[in-house]
Amino acid sequence: MMHILDEIRERFGAEWQNEQRPDLLQIGVQAKTIVPLLTWLKAHTPFVQLTHLSAVDWIEDGEFQLTYLLTDPKAHVSLMVCTRIDREQAEAESIHALWPQAVTYEQEINEMFGIHFPGSPRQGVPFILEGWNDIPPMRRDFDTVAYMNSHHPSRPGREHTDPRAYIGKVFGERGYLHDDD
Amino acid sequence: MTTTETAELRRRVQLWFGPQHPGITGNMSVQAWLEGDTLTAGVTHVGYLHRGFEKLMERRRYIQSFPIVCRICVPEPDTNEYLLAAGLDELSGLAAEVPERGRWIRTLVLEMSRLQMNLMTLGGHIGAMAMGAAPNWLIAMRDFVLDRFEELTGGRIYHMFITYGGVRRDLPEGFAERMEADLEAIEEKLPLVDNVIFDSSVFRKRAIGVGVVPEEWVDEMSLSGPIVRAMGIPRDVRKDFPYEKYPELDFEVVTTTGSDIYARAWVRRQEIAQSIDLIRQILRKMPEGPYCAKLPNMLTWTIPPGQTYVRAEATRGEMGYYVVTDGSDKVRRVHVRAPSYVHGVALLERMIPGTNIADLAPLMVSFQVCPPEMER
Repeated sequence: MMHILDEIRERFGAEWQNEQRPDLLQIGVQAKTIVPLLTWLKAHTPFVQLTHLSAVDWIEDGEFQLTYLLTDPKAHVSLMVCTRIDREQAEAESIHALWPQAVTYEQEINEMFGIHFPGSPRQGVPFILEGWNDIPPMRRDFDTVAYMNSHHPSRPGREHTDPRAYIGKVFGERGYLHDDD
Repeated sequence: MTTTETAELRRRVQLWFGPQHPGITGNMSVQAWLEGDTLTAGVTHVGYLHRGFEKLMERRRYIQSFPIVCRICVPEPDTNEYLLAAGLDELSGLAAEVPERGRWIRTLVLEMSRLQMNLMTLGGHIGAMAMGAAPNWLIAMRDFVLDRFEELTGGRIYHMFITYGGVRRDLPEGFAERMEADLEAIEEKLPLVDNVIFDSSVFRKRAIGVGVVPEEWVDEMSLSGPIVRAMGIPRDVRKDFPYEKYPELDFEVVTTTGSDIYARAWVRRQEIAQSIDLIRQILRKMPEGPYCAKLPNMLTWTIPPGQTYVRAEATRGEMGYYVVTDGSDKVRRVHVRAPSYVHGVALLERMIPGTNIADLAPLMVSFQVCPPEMER
């Protein structure tokens, strides 16, 4: 199935490609080619199923990665198409016209990462969160501990114990017991 | 839902089905609009259970994620444990070192998990139609399997048993004999269930021809599991993307036709018999040897950068884990591809218009919607 990667490289260009397993191919392309590429794959190749759509925050690179997983249900091979978009201008073209269930993926990614998909029907409509007014929670710079401390403070009178200090106090500096202890 | 759609729907009777309703399949709700007894539209709402599992895993070492993932689908946790282990085994290079016995025990656990989940869901099929006897019998049968899980793992529901490189413990002495006794007890009682469900005129009238999913939606919406097999399409991850020891087991993909609630229940009933047979095959073929690879120090374990997608056949359909590592001691990203994510939102919302309000609960059970895996 490696020929599909070569054909994509010829038609749309590719930044990298990889055979992760015989049944899982990976390719990285530019964001502007995503919709033409996925449209071509659905119309002219056996990769007709959108199995998954995901986002990864590469905060140190100032980018988000979008990962589209397509599957050929007859040959039993999946193709992982990856692209990166600017983290500050977090916007990508919607694919809901190609696969209707992409609406839910794009709605959730919009809510959890703040990536906008113009034209996708449920952008800005809460999927899981209600009354959320912080930065999108799946971004790497969202501090879960700080959020908990500010929104759900501990009850007065509750005793806190630092786990590391407590283990050291009970078991000694090594922090664990040997069989001969 | 867009503003225009919402304005249009405001003119109709609106009903919130769940989150507190005996017919709902867990912590979710369906905002439905009615004309008479007929639903004209519906929107799935989740978030009642959201505990941010995927985010939590990004802050924890690899070994600390097992108590998290098993909660992603409460009644069938083992698929999640397996997929997390399989994904990180692959990216770390441990996959080649998982011993044979470890792989067989993993397969055993996965099939026991499928058995107990299908027993519960089959009860749900008829329970959603307000018939109480068979669900109670099936829950009792499920408890036989949970007894063996408790013996094997220490827990009835959450097991945390499959781990990196294999499984946490070996099979206890005499486990196969006790498992066989339980399988015989289940087999003995299944004809009663068949009488009450599949021979029941009430169930047949309410299930045959109801909730028919068109075949052309399969690829369009990436449907999987019993929904697809009830259309006569033999798709099953255990056959199509073989993992662990399934290629060495003798079984055919269960299919039937009709694509309605009855057909999906029938597929699950046949898969109960299939799981019983597979468990017996696994126990017969179980080799001697170690059950887990030598693992690195879990407090300092780092995994090279990489990404993969691993999948397994849950009773609800294809379950997948998209796993990304960055060379550190924690996952960069874990994204769960749950069957209910498609079946419980896009498919359910598409099926609702034209459905009788009384058929909504049976329809949801037949899709086996599991809310925790939708909101992870």
